[in-house]
Amino acid sequence: MKFISIASKAAKELLRDRRGLIMILLFPMFFMLVFGFAFGGMGQQDEPHNLAVINYDQGATLPGTGENLNFGNNFTQVLKDIKYQDSNVKIFNVNQTNLNDANQLLKQRKADAAVIIPENFTQSILSSASGSNSTTTVIIRGDTGYINFGVSQGILTGILGQYQDELVAGIKSQLTRTPVQRVSKAIESKVESLPGTESFTNFDFLAPGMIVFAIILLATTVASTLTREVDRGTLSRLKLSKMRSFDFLFGNMIPWSFIAAAQVIILLGVAMLIGFKWQGGLNSIFLAVLVGVIGGIASVSLGMIIASFARNDRQAANLATIITVPMSFLTGAFFQLPHVIVANIMGQPFEIYEILPWTHVLNAMRTVLTFGGGWSDIAYQVGWTIVLTALLFFAGILIFSRTRLQPES
Amino acid sequence: MSEYIIESQDLTRDFGDFRAVDKLNLKIKRGEVFGFLGPNGAGKTTSIRMMVGLLHPTSGKVLINGQNINEVEKASIGICPQELVLWDNLTPNESLNLMGDMYGIPKKERQMRAEKLLSDLFLTDKAKTQVKDLSGGMKRRLNLAMALVHEPEIVVLDEPSEGLDPQSRRVLWNYIRFLRDDDGKTVILTTHLMDEADKLSDRIAIIDHGKLLRLDTPDNLKKEIGEGDVVDMKLSDQSKNETVIAALKDLDEIDSVSEIQGRINVYALDAVGKLPQIMSKVEDSGVKIADLSVRQNTLEDVFLDLTGTTLRE
Repeated sequence: MKFISIASKAAKELLRDRRGLIMILLFPMFFMLVFGFAFGGMGQQDEPHNLAVINYDQGATLPGTGENLNFGNNFTQVLKDIKYQDSNVKIFNVNQTNLNDANQLLKQRKADAAVIIPENFTQSILSSASGSNSTTTVIIRGDTGYINFGVSQGILTGILGQYQDELVAGIKSQLTRTPVQRVSKAIESKVESLPGTESFTNFDFLAPGMIVFAIILLATTVASTLTREVDRGTLSRLKLSKMRSFDFLFGNMIPWSFIAAAQVIILLGVAMLIGFKWQGGLNSIFLAVLVGVIGGIASVSLGMIIASFARNDRQAANLATIITVPMSFLTGAFFQLPHVIVANIMGQPFEIYEILPWTHVLNAMRTVLTFGGGWSDIAYQVGWTIVLTALLFFAGILIFSRTRLQPES
Repeated sequence: MSEYIIESQDLTRDFGDFRAVDKLNLKIKRGEVFGFLGPNGAGKTTSIRMMVGLLHPTSGKVLINGQNINEVEKASIGICPQELVLWDNLTPNESLNLMGDMYGIPKKERQMRAEKLLSDLFLTDKAKTQVKDLSGGMKRRLNLAMALVHEPEIVVLDEPSEGLDPQSRRVLWNYIRFLRDDDGKTVILTTHLMDEADKLSDRIAIIDHGKLLRLDTPDNLKKEIGEGDVVDMKLSDQSKNETVIAALKDLDEIDSVSEIQGRINVYALDAVGKLPQIMSKVEDSGVKIADLSVRQNTLEDVFLDLTGTTLRE
């Protein structure tokens, strides 16, 4: 099989060009170190927007009137409607969901915080208004190392206090027909960490992003390597042989996939050395390497497409940098971007950034490395990664074959 | 089996407004060394790229064994490009095995061929040295070996002597002769080196500005401008060149006369014996000779006679 010879040739070229190889492996490591030191103990400033609400409130009947009340629903509506002062902008984008989904959204940072309203929420408020010493606890859950959670939690605590003051006083006034000066504390809030995130820093969220950034950057090296084959004429030599496009491109892809796997392992090691709190066992490394390799194949495919249009290896490197660096931002490797949902697929919101396979690679890596998730937690992301990578790979083969592996027109 | 292995019919290639090859009609015989002679930029490499199927012609076609180039078995042609087209980080042995595999040659067979080629081209000692560490001459020989590993019927050598030292050039020339005489290959040789074309080619096509100017054996080409010698002279007053040329043309003893870059070249058999008549004609025109030399007729003179210019390099 010719692609094995091409793979062997590409691997030898990669390994024997030690300076090039060191550059490929060290450059992302440098980024990892910089980000590690920069964000290891610092937060980032971001507006809180997304809130997951889990309402377990059973409701209760108002004594005297017999009216059925559910303050859980009412509080959820308040959260949905509340706006910034002197502004029409709502403070929260509320997603009413269940606990499992909320945890998932928190892990993916699609929600900044989750509010869990307990079963006795209405009952406790009514009891408190009636004069009994009853309290209910609303849990505010999230990744305590995430600055957006801190902001959301602060706002929520304030809203909750104000809500209970006004609500309980109103009910008491209705029940006693007299104005109320002070009310007892009916609602307490409790901050709860998302399991596994108790001592997180922003770097724990950034480290998988750095790994994905390194994987995306492979497109730059692949594009220059392939363009060099064109520029030096070695591709013409191969074109004259019986080699098929598939042999060349698939053969080249194999060693680059190993480089992607090496990137994941090396960068994970470096990240751990500078404080990344890796969750999960060896299984999570295996899963991270697996998604890393698929992401690497996507990068090789992107490299092929870039190499189809570049005139020389320097132009290929420049063009690839222009494409890959902004794309790394779009995947959310460095910071969370505003949510732009464009579709709903299999009951899951599909954001515009998810059209890039690396976004799914990143989500999957965060799930396994940062949150210690398993295969079932990343199956959806891996599925998307495979589909999008396959599309990109076939597009790469098609475009490269047409532009580079046919006789020149 | 036809006498001709390659035929180009009205082969034309344009790059924008520039016509690199203009209606080239050629027939290359089986088993010959066919020289493609012309200055840099004459259209040799473009013609070759079309003949091996790397470049689509704007119009016209190339037939290999009577079949259109697009339908021909890829392994029938081997090309040794003008540039060194090698993988720097592979060894010669690895490079040859890789190319052998790309042509579908079984492993054992391609290893044998690689060893033989390395031996024939004096590269056995460097079989396991990475290409980047080879000398220029060694790289050039490996460049040639890469074109031969699949044992093609037609071998195209594009400026193979470019940058070679005399020793490597001798090895290369001997090998080209070996390819024709012992292996029965058809060799197409593009060169701008007159002596290379003269010594190696059975027939030569002279091409310039994309057009075929002449196609014949080296001897016949040289005979065309007069067998024998060239009297190369420079007059003290070059404005009289035309007058002197007109006068010299009256001489029955000479074959032809032409002006080349301000100098007058007189072609004649045994020119030394005819020098008195030639000099007398010049003096009769009232001009003095500033510089004069007599030398043997070469392909360069054929080229100069055909194009009116020297090679552009």
